Parts: sequence; structure tokens; C-alpha cells
Amino acid sequence: MSQRVAVTGLGVVSPLGNTLADFRGRLLEGASGAGPITVFDPASLPTRIAAQADTRGLSLEHKDRKVAFAIAAARDAVLDAQTAGMPLRAHYPPGSGGLSIGIGLELFAMPDMVRLLETKQMPPDAHPLTFLQTPSDICAHIISKEHGLGRPPLTHIAACAASTDAIGVAFRMLRDGKCAWMLAGGADSMLNPLGVGGFCKLDALTRRNAEPHKASRPFDRHRDGFLLGEGAGMLALEPLEAARARGAKVYAEIDGYGNSFDAYGISEPHPNGDGALLAMRRALDSAAIGPGGICYINAHGTSTPKNDPVEALAIRRLWGEHTARAAVSSTKSMLGHLISASGAVETVATVICGASGWMHATANLDEPDPACDLDHIRGGPRRMEHGHILKNSFGFGGQNAALVLHIAG
Amino acid sequence: MRKFMGKQDHLAVIAACQAAKAAGADDTLLRERTGVYLCVGYIPFDRADIEPLSRNSTRDGQFSMELYSTVALQQVNPLLTFRCLPNMPIFHVSLNLGIQGPYFITYPGPGQFYLALQEALAALQRGEIDLALLGAVADQDNFLVDWHFRRQRYSSAWTCADAAAFLCLEARAHAARRSARVLGEYLSASVEYEPHDPLKDTPIFAETLRLAGSEVPLDQAGYLGPASLPAPACWLLARGQAGELRHELRSADGIVARSDWRLLG
Repeated sequence: MSQRVAVTGLGVVSPLGNTLADFRGRLLEGASGAGPITVFDPASLPTRIAAQADTRGLSLEHKDRKVAFAIAAARDAVLDAQTAGMPLRAHYPPGSGGLSIGIGLELFAMPDMVRLLETKQMPPDAHPLTFLQTPSDICAHIISKEHGLGRPPLTHIAACAASTDAIGVAFRMLRDGKCAWMLAGGADSMLNPLGVGGFCKLDALTRRNAEPHKASRPFDRHRDGFLLGEGAGMLALEPLEAARARGAKVYAEIDGYGNSFDAYGISEPHPNGDGALLAMRRALDSAAIGPGGICYINAHGTSTPKNDPVEALAIRRLWGEHTARAAVSSTKSMLGHLISASGAVETVATVICGASGWMHATANLDEPDPACDLDHIRGGPRRMEHGHILKNSFGFGGQNAALVLHIAG
Repeated sequence: MRKFMGKQDHLAVIAACQAAKAAGADDTLLRERTGVYLCVGYIPFDRADIEPLSRNSTRDGQFSMELYSTVALQQVNPLLTFRCLPNMPIFHVSLNLGIQGPYFITYPGPGQFYLALQEALAALQRGEIDLALLGAVADQDNFLVDWHFRRQRYSSAWTCADAAAFLCLEARAHAARRSARVLGEYLSASVEYEPHDPLKDTPIFAETLRLAGSEVPLDQAGYLGPASLPAPACWLLARGQAGELRHELRSADGIVARSDWRLLG
């Protein structure tokens, strides 16, 4: 049994807005979500800027921001997928849906930790489920309960590749007829002292504190690290035939997925891009297409000195003589790096822009690094040709994931 | 062993290497045609790492961001955060065994181990891999993990143990082609889910393991978290036990699962 898999609903919480219209508009404008960190006082950290999610209108009833983001994005995706006021779940047998979510790390809040170690007791005002900001797994159950998803929720934790894995595994389950419909995506926020401090200690973050809007510059010669972001992206996925039968709008189809290990380094990619190459090849094989069928690549494109040239090399190795035919851009140039949510939010960005017939550019790509030689979209959006799209996500720890999709005609 | 590893990473690498060795999986088999399917436990930041960070950030019993950013962070290993990332065990397994195949990594309990099992079986059936390293690892003798479990009402009666176990799965025909010794067979599994709101209720946990109809005590070593099926299965195999093995689980996060295996002794 092999079914085509349609994207029929999108939800996003991002530094560039939380409605699809705002999100697409600002992406195509080349806007930046960067600014000073205000969710906590960064004091004397070397990086004091980030891309904070727009929390206006969000219910932050849960202490952990990523949980609140995930719940909101899931609600929006389900709402977006409904037709004539009829909820998506009503079209399928009860309990036949599932959730596949990439989720951020269980980081604790330093103030909580200090209180715990000082007093040796759980702080009296701490909620038993959200104490120490560790409820990543409960998010999956809250969403499943709210939307009547009766399949065991899949929680993916492959760092920056997590939500691309989440979409890929959901795609495979639907393609193979193992689930009636799926919510797939991811959520993350590492905008807390431990998260930002830990990345500062690794020298992974940009230090352009005086120019937040210019800080994230993937593939640019003057990039100096990634801009940390936060948010969530969710996609409603269902079999194409079922979507058509219920009269749903179809944004896109997911066609393939692959993942791989670098088996190389914790924080740096394989210098020859071997792992990235394997993930892309597996995604193309899964979609049964060759590299020449790809017209656009939404890159992982972090803006770090080490990642960008390796990704460019891996793309050139895969494409060979076809390289010039595939346009490339990085959503992180505007949103920053949303870590476990990045693949999902960037997939939403790719789909929502692609559906408009235009693909956003890489912002701040003023002087392309010769080591990152590709057909970059820069200076403004580019008209999208019909064809397949490749979405890359490469995680700390050498876990690589790639999706192949195409915009519905 | 290479790189900066936490206890959970060590446990995973040791168990994975033992499994690969027992399966006779050499370097040629372990490259691109082997996948790793792993469930990890809750994230165990080591107290020895965290206490200095906290102590050096404290002023008058309160957290000071200024001290944290100017004093405490200066004294920690740059890779501290990585030591406890949930994907680090699978990274260290891939690195130490040179595996570049596909993966599935999830968390945090025995219910999710079943999801890893399903993914491993599906990858084998699709022909994407020749060998699946299916495992679970949990460093639970840890003060933060203890806090995690206190949030669940049943946990006060438990002793939590560290555990790691890997099983090498492959198709019968593939094992025969390479003349591998077959230790056991996967027979069947079912995995269901009861959606619930974890902020309001916690499903009752129950777990049994039976070998040839007789119950295998699971509480001797303590609660093994996601390794509660693969770890005892490995012990039984190491002791040469044979017979039908049935594991039944009602997890505290609503997953209801059952699997049947045949141990060949």
C-alpha cells in the first residue's frame, strides 16, 4: 500500500508572526525576527540578541515556552485544515490520527536549580509537572488529547534534525497506510540562561549585538555564528485522495524522506559532507527522483563558519552538473535557528512561500562566501518554478534529515 | 571511546558494542546498511557538572545572571550542554561503531521503546537496512531524573536503576546468508494509546514479563525505564534461557503494548 501524502493544514509560531499571511509576507519582504533578548536578562553574555517568538495572543499557561508554542501551532494547523467548519478529525474514524513531533531539550531554569540545590526541596510554588522546565514529553500528550489523536505519539529528539524527522516519519506512516491522518512538526525554545549560555560557551552564536537584523547571514563571507530563535511549526498531513474527497485545499505533497549519521563530531559536520549527502540521497531515493528534478533547496544554512561550506559542498557533490539548476535559500537568515523546531518551521515557510509562486531569499547574503558557491536566492524573492523541493536539516551530533516535497499545482 | 561522554552515553555505547559483537557485525556490515533505533530516558545532567554552575551563580541564595555570565560559565567545559543532550547517546553509538545508516531516536519510557521497535521492523521490511540496532538507555540514578519521577504519583515506591541494552535485529534470510548465530526471534507486537491530559491524570503503570508462562521478576534491579524489555531479554539470553517470552506494558503515559519473542537459548 503506497499513498500520496498531502499537506492540508499549517500552523506556525515564529519570530515573524503567528498567522500564515504575516509569516509569508514578512519572509518574502526579507524581514528579520532578531532583536535584543528580553525573555531574560542576558547580563554579560557575549551574545545578547535572539529571534524571540511573537507571543501576542498566545496562552503561556505552561511555564515552558516550547510547550505553549507547540499547542498553539497544532491548533492552528488543525483549524487551517478544516473545511466548511468541519474539523479535520471528523472526516476520519475516531482515534485514527497520530502525532509526530520534534521537541526541544529538557533544560532547567537556573533560578529553579539554584533554589533546588540551596533548599534541597522542590520550591513550594513549583508546578509538579513543569518544575525545572522539563515537560517536553507532556506536550505530545496534551496535543494528542486535545485533537483526539489515538495513535501513540512519536517524540523525536535528534536536536536540529528532530522536526524534519518528525515530518518524515509521519509521511512514511501515511504513505504506508499505517495511520489515517497526522499532525507533524516541532517546537523549541532554548532562550534561557542555560541554552544561550551553553551555545555562547561553544562559540556557536553570532556576536553582532549591535546589528541584530544583520546577525544571521548564512553563506555570507562575514557570518560569525547562528542567531538563536524559538517557535513551533505544525503540518496537517493526510492521504491525497482523502483530502481531495473532502474538498480540502492541498498546499503540497511530501514525496520523500531520508536520514543518516555523520558518525564524526558532536558540534561540527563531517568535513566532506558525507552524512548530509547520504540523507539527501536517501530522501531522493525515497521520492524516486534524481537530483535533476529538484528546483529549490531550503538549506539548513545556519550561518556558522563550519556548517555552511560543508552543506554547500554536500549539495554540489550530490548535484554535480545539475547544481546550477537548484536555487538555494536559508530561512534561518530571518528566523534564526529554532533548533528542534527549525525543520518544521522552515518547511512551513517553504510551503507557504512556494504556494504563492515565490521563494524567499537568504537575507544578509551581501557577499557570498566562495566556499559556499551555489545558486543562492539573494536580494529578493525569486519566482518558483514547478518542480521538487529539498528541505535539509543537520543536527548537532551528526544526525541529518532531508525531505522532498512539491507544491500542489 | 572518544569525545566527551556522559554516563548515559557510556552505557549506550557499551551495550551497543556488546550487541554488535554478539551478532558478529563487522565494520563492513555496520556502515551504511545498519540503522540505530534508540529510546533514551529522561535527561540526566550530572550533579557534579551542575552544582558548580549553580554555586558560582548564587548570590544571597538567589540566582544571579551577572555571576552566571561572568563567573560560572567561565569554569565549565564548553561541551557541558552536549554531555546531556538526548541525542548524544545515539551520536556516540554511531561514532564508536562507524554507523552512517538511518536512525530513530525517541524518549522517555518503555512505551516509546515499542515505537523504536516498530520503526526498526519497518525499516527492515522496507529493505532500507540489513541490520537494526534496537536499544534503550537510561541513567536514572541521578538527582534530576529523581525530580522527574516525583512528578508521577506512583514513583515514590520505586527504586530507579541505570540500564542500557541493545538487540541486533535482522531478517532470518540475511542472518542465514552471513551464517550468524540466531539467539531469538521476534514474533509479534501491538502498541496502542490512551490519550490523556498529563496535567490532570496519570494512567496506572503495570508491566509483566513472562518466559515460558512463568513470571520473570522485573523489580530486582529496580525500574529500568525504557530498557525494561530489552535489558531483561539480554540477561535471559546471556543465561541461555529458551522459550516464549511475553512482555506486557501499561505505561504511565498511556501507551499499552505487548510483544512476543522466542528465545532460542
